[in-house]
Amino acid sequence: MSLSKLLFLFFILITNLFAYPNYSDALKSKKIYPMGKKIFQKKCSKLNVNAFKSYEALLDSIKETKECGNLKSSYQEALALYLWDVQREAKVERKYPDLNVSQKEKCPICGMFLYKYPRWVSMIEYQDGKKLYFDGMKDLFTYYFKHKEGIKNIYTRAYYTQETIDAEDAYYVIGSDVYGPMGHELIGFKNEKSAKQFLFDHRGKTIVRFDNVTAAMVHKLDE
Amino acid sequence: MNKINFYLLEYAYSYILRHKNKNIFIVTVFTLLVALLATLFFVTSSLRYELKERIANQSDIIIQNYKAGMPAAIDVSVLDKLLEIEGVTAGKLEVQGKYYFRPKESTFYLLGVDAFEMQDDPVVAKLLEQYELSDSEMLVSKNVQDIMNQAYYKEYFNFIKPDGSLHKVSIKASFDVGERVELKNLIIMSKDTLREIFGYSADEGSDIALSVANKNELEFISSKIRLLLPNAKVTSKDDLLLEYEKLFDYDSGVFLSLFVIALFTFFIIIYDKANGLSSEEKREIGILKAIGWCVEDVLHAKFYEATLLSFFSFTLGLGIAFVYVFVFKAPLLGAIFTHENMLEIHNFQLNIHIELSYILLIFLLSVPVYIAATLIPSWRVATLDADEVMR
Repeated sequence: MSLSKLLFLFFILITNLFAYPNYSDALKSKKIYPMGKKIFQKKCSKLNVNAFKSYEALLDSIKETKECGNLKSSYQEALALYLWDVQREAKVERKYPDLNVSQKEKCPICGMFLYKYPRWVSMIEYQDGKKLYFDGMKDLFTYYFKHKEGIKNIYTRAYYTQETIDAEDAYYVIGSDVYGPMGHELIGFKNEKSAKQFLFDHRGKTIVRFDNVTAAMVHKLDE
Repeated sequence: MNKINFYLLEYAYSYILRHKNKNIFIVTVFTLLVALLATLFFVTSSLRYELKERIANQSDIIIQNYKAGMPAAIDVSVLDKLLEIEGVTAGKLEVQGKYYFRPKESTFYLLGVDAFEMQDDPVVAKLLEQYELSDSEMLVSKNVQDIMNQAYYKEYFNFIKPDGSLHKVSIKASFDVGERVELKNLIIMSKDTLREIFGYSADEGSDIALSVANKNELEFISSKIRLLLPNAKVTSKDDLLLEYEKLFDYDSGVFLSLFVIALFTFFIIIYDKANGLSSEEKREIGILKAIGWCVEDVLHAKFYEATLLSFFSFTLGLGIAFVYVFVFKAPLLGAIFTHENMLEIHNFQLNIHIELSYILLIFLLSVPVYIAATLIPSWRVATLDADEVMR
């Protein structure tokens, strides 16, 4: 009984391993998903991924029904992977605002014009609709510790990808050799892997989460 | 000095006409000087602009494989390795190269595209939105179409593969490149077709292009890749800019020597003029004073005279330079900047781009200097008594 169960599990594992291609996350998100998305939009936007039970069935269907035209096998795979991993998960992608600032906008802490350093712009959005932009997380924290009430969202940019991320979910590296417009900075990352890589590459000291950042820590950056 | 005194202006005007020979000489020298300087700045500023535009359309990092000191085919597996690097946001294997068409002695630039990849170049991206290319079709620029037509290729073109056999590709459509002079000889086709023509195997390409979202990281990532691929040549956008600038500075140096000589000549003339007035001019000022003009009036008239002359020459010089550079395409001087391999500007089809700061520089170098050189000696004479001057 147990042996047959084990065999069954083994079988599942083996088939799954061979069916689903073994690409790294980076490769998938940087090359395969964008390509799959483009194929999906251009060729077969009618395909419904939820009608398939497994990745294999999806790939076979794409191969055999020719619903998406005559695609090369690498395209078929990219399309299937995109549909299976991204569309099926149906992650409702949270919409982040673009952190674009006008030429007049100044940082409320240091008074510097923000448009000169677009890579470092971070923002606090209050519930009454007021939006405050800062030139880096250091100044944002300085302000944040004194005005914590009524905050709706806090956004910053991920260092490597430059996309807007939720500052409260981000990982911050302190003490690196990368400086912001106001010197030492808390540099934000979307995930821990990127933060660790950055820490290693740019001789950072520690990684902290948003909730663990203290006023003393921020103050020390200016010394 | 609140209002223009038209009587004095008229006097200045007739003074210029009275000394026709002398003033024609000054206008000629002045105009030539301004024209030379303006040519220099027109050419350099529009070239610099061109460079910037071209580099803006380049990928952030380009990686080429080198074999025996020559660029060689690069494998797609390298790309997969590079995409693992944090900070690289996208990348693709490029298949591109040059094709020399001997009968018409022209070089085509062949670009392989994949309709489902991101396109950096807006021109290419727009074309791919418009047309769907099959493996036996290509898009050619208007210029390439003309060249092919001259060789009686109207619907298709035969490319010669490295092994000597022919590969036929039909022309789907032609496109206009507009201001992008560097794309003049562009041919776009699918990557697989181009691999066939160049003799690459299925997973090879000519180079790898990566994009990096955070430009601060560009140098760091480039050096990381250099460590990872010791045989490859890694060129970042910054390197490219530097390389162009170096070449450019050398050329500008040649031009600068011209510039210095021209300026020197101009200042000799100015020095000569400032050193003293001819006896005739002195007498004229003396007479003016004798009939009751005060120093201020004389200086006013002289100021108008110098302003009229210098402004006229300045505008004329600018106009000549503009026509010379942008209409006649800088026949002799342009050759200094023509580098076939680097910029591929053979016939100087420059887009007009003028930086106002340079024009201001030429203005300040010439007009106020000339006005001062006219006023100072006149002032020296005008402050003397009339009888002293006339004596």
